[in-house]
Amino acid sequence: MIFYVIRRLLAAIPTLLAVLTLVFVIVRIVPGDPAIAILGDRATPAAVAALQAKLGLDRPIWEQYVTFLGRSLSGDFGSSMVTNRPILTDVGAVIPHTLDLTIAAMLIGTIIGVPAGVWAALHRNRAIDVAARLLSLIGLSFPVFVSGIFLLLAFALHWRIFPVIGNANLADPVDRLTKLVLPAATLGLVMAAYITRVTRSAMLQVLDEDYMRTARAKGVPWRRVVWRHGLRNAGLPVVTVVGLYVGILIGNSVLTEIVFNRPGLGKIIVGALNQRDYTMLQGLMVIYCFLIVVVNLLTDLTYGLIDPRVKQA
Amino acid sequence: MKFRTALLAAGLAFAAPALATPALAAPKTTLTVGMAAQDVGKLDPHLAVSTIDRAVVAWMFNGLVRFKPGSMSPAEIEPDLAERWENTADKKEWVFHLRHGVKFHGDYGELTADDVVFSLQKAADPKRSAFSADFAAFEKIEAVDPYTVKITLKQTVPSLLGILTNYSGGFIVSKKAVEALGDKFASAPIGTGPFAFASVTPNQSLELVANKAYFRGTPKLEKISYRFLPSNASRDLAFQNGELDLEYGNSDQTWIDRTRKVPHAVVDVFEPGEEAVLHLNMTHKPLDDLRVRQAIAYAINRPELLRWQGQDPSRVPGSVIPIGNLGYTADNGLPQFSLDKAKALLAEAGYPNGVTLKVVHTQLPGMLAQMQVVQAQLKRAGINLDLQVVEHATFHQMIRQDLSDIVFYSAARFPVADVYLTQFYHSRSTVKTPTAVTNFSHCNAADAEIDAARTEPDDAKQIALWQEAQRKIVAQACAVPLIETLQTWVRRDDLDYGYELKGSLSLGPLITEATHFK
Repeated sequence: MIFYVIRRLLAAIPTLLAVLTLVFVIVRIVPGDPAIAILGDRATPAAVAALQAKLGLDRPIWEQYVTFLGRSLSGDFGSSMVTNRPILTDVGAVIPHTLDLTIAAMLIGTIIGVPAGVWAALHRNRAIDVAARLLSLIGLSFPVFVSGIFLLLAFALHWRIFPVIGNANLADPVDRLTKLVLPAATLGLVMAAYITRVTRSAMLQVLDEDYMRTARAKGVPWRRVVWRHGLRNAGLPVVTVVGLYVGILIGNSVLTEIVFNRPGLGKIIVGALNQRDYTMLQGLMVIYCFLIVVVNLLTDLTYGLIDPRVKQA
Repeated sequence: MKFRTALLAAGLAFAAPALATPALAAPKTTLTVGMAAQDVGKLDPHLAVSTIDRAVVAWMFNGLVRFKPGSMSPAEIEPDLAERWENTADKKEWVFHLRHGVKFHGDYGELTADDVVFSLQKAADPKRSAFSADFAAFEKIEAVDPYTVKITLKQTVPSLLGILTNYSGGFIVSKKAVEALGDKFASAPIGTGPFAFASVTPNQSLELVANKAYFRGTPKLEKISYRFLPSNASRDLAFQNGELDLEYGNSDQTWIDRTRKVPHAVVDVFEPGEEAVLHLNMTHKPLDDLRVRQAIAYAINRPELLRWQGQDPSRVPGSVIPIGNLGYTADNGLPQFSLDKAKALLAEAGYPNGVTLKVVHTQLPGMLAQMQVVQAQLKRAGINLDLQVVEHATFHQMIRQDLSDIVFYSAARFPVADVYLTQFYHSRSTVKTPTAVTNFSHCNAADAEIDAARTEPDDAKQIALWQEAQRKIVAQACAVPLIETLQTWVRRDDLDYGYELKGSLSLGPLITEATHFK
């Protein structure tokens, strides 16, 4: 198991290096000059040139690249070009919010999605199945900026249970939880819709397998056949989807963050992109990629737990 | 849009009974402001260029002089950190006498002439300021004694006091703080204003506290929480829910009408009007032909634009500079809408079948919608705009590289004609030149008048020169005015600014020591 983890971590190094290079190139390919973005429309060319020099943007591109690589690898992401605040301070301030939302959405999605998918598969083409499919289709079709606003209208304005501004005080667990409910429900329901569909189709394939019939023929109770033999074998695609989706959630929950006024990684990425804050974007991308690598690793480890053949491979 | 409107209307219906509950007896002392922002940028006032940053630095800093709160009229400039001043007859030497006992925030001591000299030199230095161009005429800034500052100019400027107001480069910073904090000053600034920086939580809010030692007296408010809420819809919901006292609004008639119906809401529409102008690039074919430019000027239907955007937040401009600027004139021969004239001019120029122009434009929703109306208007005259919609920062870079036949630009400037005329129509400001500012049309029709007005000692003659400059620019059709858009904010009716809000050059209401909850 330990070797497996080490092997996976080593494999992540070239990925990270490739990502660092890509990030460096992409950030510079995007048109738009950070100096103009920072200094505004009344700045003279002299002021723009001075700022470019200060930010190191006038140096040869390879020199900027080497500096960037060296600093990134030593964990020094520098400061934002716009606010001058250290990048790790900004990211550190929002990461707990992002993790709260991601984990809560994943839990809601899994707790609702897996049983719903199994249930729908067991009642294939009957009313329950049709209802599950329809609900998951609705869940997938509703953009979060619509479902989010509906939730706010109902629970914040009409019933006044939750606030509209969702920037939680991390030190206060009650506040933190209260402000998590609506955004987590918004994202979690979308995720549940995905998981329901994947679980259903994976289960449908497994239900027809010979070992399922054999298990039943041996006299194993049906419930046990479904959960032990069926779901365990159907688990791999489900875990894959959950893993992928969690990765996407970390950076892409920006719409949810904006609607519910929550801080988060996605929101900072969008802000940095609008401002052409190169250093911030680079730092964020590296941290984001690191998180994705960790999530992928956890997903792979989960494969190993579900299916022992994966570990041996 | 309709859908969002319907949603918010539903929100209002939900919110109405809740907001009707009586307010608490004890007046509040914390002001919560909702701003359309992801975060603040630079809080060093000489680098604060976005509306987000400008609105809030005005609460933390003072200038040598200031606009009377609620006003942005150059005629109503009054003492701020300087209690009085005098100047020589040729207006080239100015002496300012500072107030005694003005304290900087924190432990940065008393304001002296050294701080003023340092601040103005910093504001004039392109390496440390975005507004250095305003100080081009400054020759020397010196401290005569700890409470006296002397400014010597190379040549007279139209409004020296204007440059020294509580706006852009005029803000006075603490020398000691800038030197001690270095780059950190931009994220934790030190001023002399009624409110002092307390903390910033990235992506969430900026917190200010009252400066109890403020020289005009302790502010009535104790705290300001400046929240970053980028979504218009949920910012509105937060205001309706009573979570905000003051909110950055939307200069849109539908929004204004809807928000006015929210119980306890007061919508403030105030100066400056940002004038949207089409700058026609006279170096690009076929816009090098005056007749084609004039055809565009005739094809624009300003009253229709006004009906589309709404009466309250907008007005029809009358010149190539905004209404109300010192030196503005509507008597300039500006072409009024006439499709026949537009078509005739195009045919005369050799384009009876119309022309197609390439236009780089931003994807910011408000500006894009305005441009689409303009596109539809010009199409009726056979002028087709091939809109290339790009992300906002890209737009700003591309228009400065002369890549667009027409540039749509909306701006307000210090309200003296010289500023707008120089930045947008003087050949010195032409894009892609070393002294570039925002002359996108390559206009050079009125250089002589603009320059002469700048050093003209006689006020009446100066104004006459500015008016002549506008006539010449209109005659050359360098630019076509479209619409002026005013600033729109909404507050709860128990919030009293302490003055009547008619205008604010910082683009947000000034929060002063007198601002309080009733």
